[in-house]
Amino acid sequence: MGSTVGQTQAGARFDSLFEAHHTAVFRFCLRRLGPADAEDAAAEVFAVAWRRLDQVPEGEPARAWLLGVAYRVVGNQFRGRRRRWRIADRLRMERSGGWTITASDTQEGIVLEALEQLSGRDRELLRLSAWDGLSRGEIAQLIGIKENAVDQRLHRARSRLRSSFDQLQKEVAQVKPKEASS
Amino acid sequence: MIELLERADPAVNVEVDKRSLRSRVDERVGLLPTVGPAAGRTRRPLLAAVGAIAAVAALVIGYTVFRDEPLVDGLPFLAAPSSELGNLPGIATVVPLRTGGVKTMAVDGVDIWVMEALHNTLTRVNANTGSIEATFPIDEYSEGIAVGAGFVWLLSYDEGGEVLRFDPAAGRVDRRIPINGEPAWGPVWFGDRLWVSNDRSELHEISPDGKVLAVSAGDVKGEGLGLLWVNDPETGLIHSIGPDGRQSEYVIPTHSGLDTADGWGVREVVEADSNLWLMDGGYPFGTDISRFDPGTGELRSFASLTFGLMDMTEYEGSLWVTSHTDHLLIRVDLATGEVNRYPLPGKAGGLAVVDGTLWVSLYHPGVLVGINQPANLIEAGEIVADDWNRYPHRLLCTGQQTDSTKPTIIMEPAGWIGYGQWSVVQAQLSAEGYVACVNGYVADNRPPDTQAADLEEALVDSGIDGPYVMLAAGDGVHAARLFADGRSDVVGAVFVDPIPIGFASFLDAELGFAEGEGHPPWLDIEQSVSASLSDFGDLPLVVIGHDLSTTFKSGSFVDAVGETTATAIDDYWQEGLDFYSALSTNSRRMVANNSNMDRVVWDQPALVELQVLSVIEESRSSARVR
Repeated sequence: MGSTVGQTQAGARFDSLFEAHHTAVFRFCLRRLGPADAEDAAAEVFAVAWRRLDQVPEGEPARAWLLGVAYRVVGNQFRGRRRRWRIADRLRMERSGGWTITASDTQEGIVLEALEQLSGRDRELLRLSAWDGLSRGEIAQLIGIKENAVDQRLHRARSRLRSSFDQLQKEVAQVKPKEASS
Repeated sequence: MIELLERADPAVNVEVDKRSLRSRVDERVGLLPTVGPAAGRTRRPLLAAVGAIAAVAALVIGYTVFRDEPLVDGLPFLAAPSSELGNLPGIATVVPLRTGGVKTMAVDGVDIWVMEALHNTLTRVNANTGSIEATFPIDEYSEGIAVGAGFVWLLSYDEGGEVLRFDPAAGRVDRRIPINGEPAWGPVWFGDRLWVSNDRSELHEISPDGKVLAVSAGDVKGEGLGLLWVNDPETGLIHSIGPDGRQSEYVIPTHSGLDTADGWGVREVVEADSNLWLMDGGYPFGTDISRFDPGTGELRSFASLTFGLMDMTEYEGSLWVTSHTDHLLIRVDLATGEVNRYPLPGKAGGLAVVDGTLWVSLYHPGVLVGINQPANLIEAGEIVADDWNRYPHRLLCTGQQTDSTKPTIIMEPAGWIGYGQWSVVQAQLSAEGYVACVNGYVADNRPPDTQAADLEEALVDSGIDGPYVMLAAGDGVHAARLFADGRSDVVGAVFVDPIPIGFASFLDAELGFAEGEGHPPWLDIEQSVSASLSDFGDLPLVVIGHDLSTTFKSGSFVDAVGETTATAIDDYWQEGLDFYSALSTNSRRMVANNSNMDRVVWDQPALVELQVLSVIEESRSSARVR
């Protein structure tokens, strides 16, 4: 794929950056914005990277840097358009047509629902950790708190997720037999 | 559980359309301006093209940043008399103007001209003495000011938008110059003429005798390096205009890609340390400053400071930046990049340097403050509790705990006033060895329960332990009560002009505001929520009310709303104060003489400090604080 940013050293570096991290950046945006806006946000992230290419760290840390930009770009998207990809809404739609998801999907569906029931900050912390694969140090840097605080918050968030998950499981167990009998 | 969550990742199996994404990236990158000179042209440093200009120093604030801000309650009774604001450390001079008045200022020699837009008054302040030398009525809404050719130039928003030429010798406006729309950017006196852009991005050049010499496309953003800097609204590029009026071939890319969604783009361009600095965005979202090499247009550095950046100027080797939203003066050391934050007693606006003094205009309360010993300013540490969606919840803390028995003082501001009201007492209490933290980025309209939760988290994360004394004003008492509920480490409270439960909707009903047009609901909590909170027992509590003679019982308020309504509102307020006083069996209620609603902390800072200290003393004697 040719680069339009110029056949320069900077252009080559940018190409390499895109090649290595476009999937991570896109998925980061997808998780938070949904398919309609994810590509646009990811493109913005790389446009910022091009403008600040001299600030992008070399090697693997570039990924965390890019996700840091993505974090802010996504924040802007939220702020400006107030669109959210409501996983819970999607699940509710599926449920309104009956329990069509498989048993294994049900577990994953419930955990997604449980995630949605958490506060925004708990949810984001879990996503950064479990889905975006950021280390506690990277998360601390990203959101500007101490690593110990990340540990504490993650611990609390996991506990709340577990609690929410357990509650939902009970509710599902109560609903399913009724549906099966009707 | 985490493994299950990992498996549930909805994006993990989604394939990226790499070609499409790359195409979008290239589209964006291709739209970015070419940095430096256009191809085929000879590169030439901008500085070489700079001619000597005898420009009068003019401060550009530009645009109607304050205009949309409500007059607190949109009522005249809140216009307080001038007050003597206690001086903060590092501040040499305080010039009291009128509430909500300081919009813009321009410097002419030792004179600072201030347009008090909300009071239709042009004021001349002698910067050497700090005294008000003259005031002139300007009978229309006007903000945006510059000085040039012996005149003061004002932007008027009445009559569809005009530039006014004010003759100081005659003391009146002697020319009115239509500009085909509302003023939007400028004015800047540059070269031998005035430059101002209207809301259609039409850049007008106006001669000293008030003739429109030329009109072109562009938003004027400031002056620097002897050049005028103009934003092309179509391309987003900043280009320069030399003193001969010819455009430079150099362009500066507008860097603020993250903030262009707000529709503000570049707010201001200034020169500092022989570089060009761009400030992005505007109120309330402008957050960033960028430094560019003036010779090449290359971005040299970038800093994201805080919200609501208003103005910047160079002073004593640093770039100084004001934040309207956070009530801060921010110093960026030009040599090291170090950033320091200093709370100011109000919403910070324009900056100017006159004879070695840095002048800051504050809005609400309307004052000018002159700083000549910046090293003495009390610095605040910023604790970011929550940075989601770029709406950070923050504590601004001052002081260093010198005595472990001293409680931490948590200051909850009134939501519609914000940080600045506490800065006077914050500085004083910090000087006495207390750690004092102002809670919350209030412009986010966070409801009180969120404020309280964020406060708790911020304190835990930053390791600022109790015991705590809660100092709260206005609707800040709601968050203070929610935070204190059931806690044994809250050892005392001082409520200043606490807003009664339900007061916002009551006032809306009394004053005939339609739903959604009056007070925002986040100012209040439900009666049921209030009732669910536990009382304070015998917690030392002081409730300070404003001097009623100046507001609800004042002649102007009675004239505005009628005696029956005024009495009803006053009764409701009084009952509210009774309610708060009754929260503790160890409370006392006070009236701050000669203080207005929302202004007690500014008008009577010593009283508030004294009550905080007395509450601490009482808590100590009752062994709450050891």
